[in-house]
Amino acid sequence: MRILIVEDEPTLSAQLAAAITAADYAVDVASNGLDGHFMGDTEPYDAVILDLGLPQMDGITVLRKWRATDRRMPVLILTARDGWHEKVAGIDAGADDYLTKPFHMEELLARLRALIRRAGGHASAELVCGLLTLDTRNSRATVAGQVLTLTSHEYRVLAYLMHHRDEVVSRSALVEHIYAQDFDRDSNTVEVFIARLRKKLPAGLIDTVRGLGYRLSSPK
Amino acid sequence: MKMAMLRGSLRIRLLAGTLFWIAASILVAGWGLSNLFHQHVASQFHAELTTHLDRLTAQLTLDAQGRPQLALALSDPRLSRPYSGYYWQIDLIDASADSASAVGQLRSRSLWDHVLAVPSDTPADGEVHQHRVAGPEGRMLGMVERSVGIDDAADGKEHTFRLIAAADERFMSEPIARFSGTLWLALGVLATGLILAALVQVWIGLAPLRRVRIALGKVREGETQQLEGTFPAEIMPLIEEFNTVLAQNADVVARARTHAGNLAHALKTPLSVLANAAASQGEGSAELARLVGDQVGIARRQVDYHLARARAAATSRTPGARTVLQPVIDGLARAMRHIHAERNIALAIEPFSESLSFRGETQDLQEMLGNLIDNACKWAGSRVELHAHSHGSLLTITIDDDGSGLSVVQRETVIGRGVRADEQVAGSGLGLSIVDDLAHLYGGQLELADSPLGGLRAILTLPVVEP
Repeated sequence: MRILIVEDEPTLSAQLAAAITAADYAVDVASNGLDGHFMGDTEPYDAVILDLGLPQMDGITVLRKWRATDRRMPVLILTARDGWHEKVAGIDAGADDYLTKPFHMEELLARLRALIRRAGGHASAELVCGLLTLDTRNSRATVAGQVLTLTSHEYRVLAYLMHHRDEVVSRSALVEHIYAQDFDRDSNTVEVFIARLRKKLPAGLIDTVRGLGYRLSSPK
Repeated sequence: MKMAMLRGSLRIRLLAGTLFWIAASILVAGWGLSNLFHQHVASQFHAELTTHLDRLTAQLTLDAQGRPQLALALSDPRLSRPYSGYYWQIDLIDASADSASAVGQLRSRSLWDHVLAVPSDTPADGEVHQHRVAGPEGRMLGMVERSVGIDDAADGKEHTFRLIAAADERFMSEPIARFSGTLWLALGVLATGLILAALVQVWIGLAPLRRVRIALGKVREGETQQLEGTFPAEIMPLIEEFNTVLAQNADVVARARTHAGNLAHALKTPLSVLANAAASQGEGSAELARLVGDQVGIARRQVDYHLARARAAATSRTPGARTVLQPVIDGLARAMRHIHAERNIALAIEPFSESLSFRGETQDLQEMLGNLIDNACKWAGSRVELHAHSHGSLLTITIDDDGSGLSVVQRETVIGRGVRADEQVAGSGLGLSIVDDLAHLYGGQLELADSPLGGLRAILTLPVVEP
């Protein structure tokens, strides 16, 4: 799961990045509207945290431009402006949720998880696939009640596959969604993560679809 | 006291000046006219007496005994009627004459047996003297006298006679009194008319000031933002100056509010940073983290409170502002469905007339309804219902939820009437107290009651735009 933070206040931006990274998401940060728009337009993010008062291009414009070009990732607006006309304008510009400053980091994380989950069409915070259960609230995966010990990257791969259950996910898509932009990417490492996950998970949960990628589904 | 009244009231000032001039000119005119008339009547009176005297002089002859007699009786019948008021008398004033028989030697028949007692001055030949003497029946007479010497008497001596013509002074005073009566009555009517005219003039003249006051009242009430209407050319510069001051004032206030809003918003980001920094501290500084967290919470409530108040106070309440209800509620419903997506709340909006409109600003309606619906969604179990209808001049919007509701005491607390910002209980939120403030600004109100759904019912009453 890869998140974009567009926030011009450097300390807050760093705090957000730290907290979201700690919740096992890959994080990219933009500090102005133009960069933010460009990154959101070119990289596949699973969710965006967008400030409204941004230099160079304001948040509402960034959001409208994304939606105009059919960029559908969930967007959480994080702003000091708390008037209802501003909230309605934000939602109508295409935001999926609206959080006003100052905020509790736990609430932001909860809303972020919910946004990602809803974008994948999941109603519950617990994603289930056969014996495997992934609780997005505490980043914990269990198999038949047994907690799995996963590294951060293993968790990201598993979480992405769980969010896209029964879909074929390409290797490059996995790379794009588990690494931040400035990370030294190597698609071969994905194979390593998949191999490790297969050892920890019940057999047959992750299929390799030849030439296309991977699919997580409960065995028939 | 009097000076204070003069300074204090334009009306008294104008009226006092006018009344003074009316009184002064009426008095001077009355005095002047009655004097002129008096002189005119007096000169006529004496002219008539002099005519009688001339005739008497012309007819005076001496008989054989040297006594005076008239060659031809004077024709005026008033001289023959006893005590008619018109008299003549001829005295012999020779030094040798026996004074008893000399005075009143010859008299008009009208004098009857009365003899006029005349002051003993002797006019030079040809001179006419005027006197006032007592006449018959104690009346005062005006008289003229003249000395005439006759030397062709039978005894060959020259005799000097005093010829007197007199008339009752009432022939002079009565017309004067009649004239004066009429004159003062007429002047009185004139003065009354002038005073009434002055009152009307002052009333009409000051009418624009009353209109200025009414226009100012409208500005104070928020019905208008400027003094409106056409005023006389003399007042127009004042109105224009005042409107400029009002506009500048509004501008300054608007800028101050914008600054207050910007300041509040600018504070929120550092508050977020502080709160997050405190929350992410390790075990070692838990005390500091808790302290910072608490203080950030207090600062946040203060900022929210004053920001919301600034926003409520900034409501311009432009006259004629109207907001159609439907789009506002639809917009809020879209926002609520996103913001409360996790809670799976069914937000049911009962259909209402599409033309239903609130008499006020869109943002204020959004603020009020946003807070109410948001509050309902936060506390609802699974359902929030919104009804809107108008009755007479009132728009009533009812928002029900099926949450746990509030006790009567809690309702007062959440509306926060009379509760200062720093006394507000943490977590009670400001939403409802802001709604209450805004509703009051529009002359409406917010009531909280038990909902038939089981939770809280918020009833917002606002002015409606009547179709």
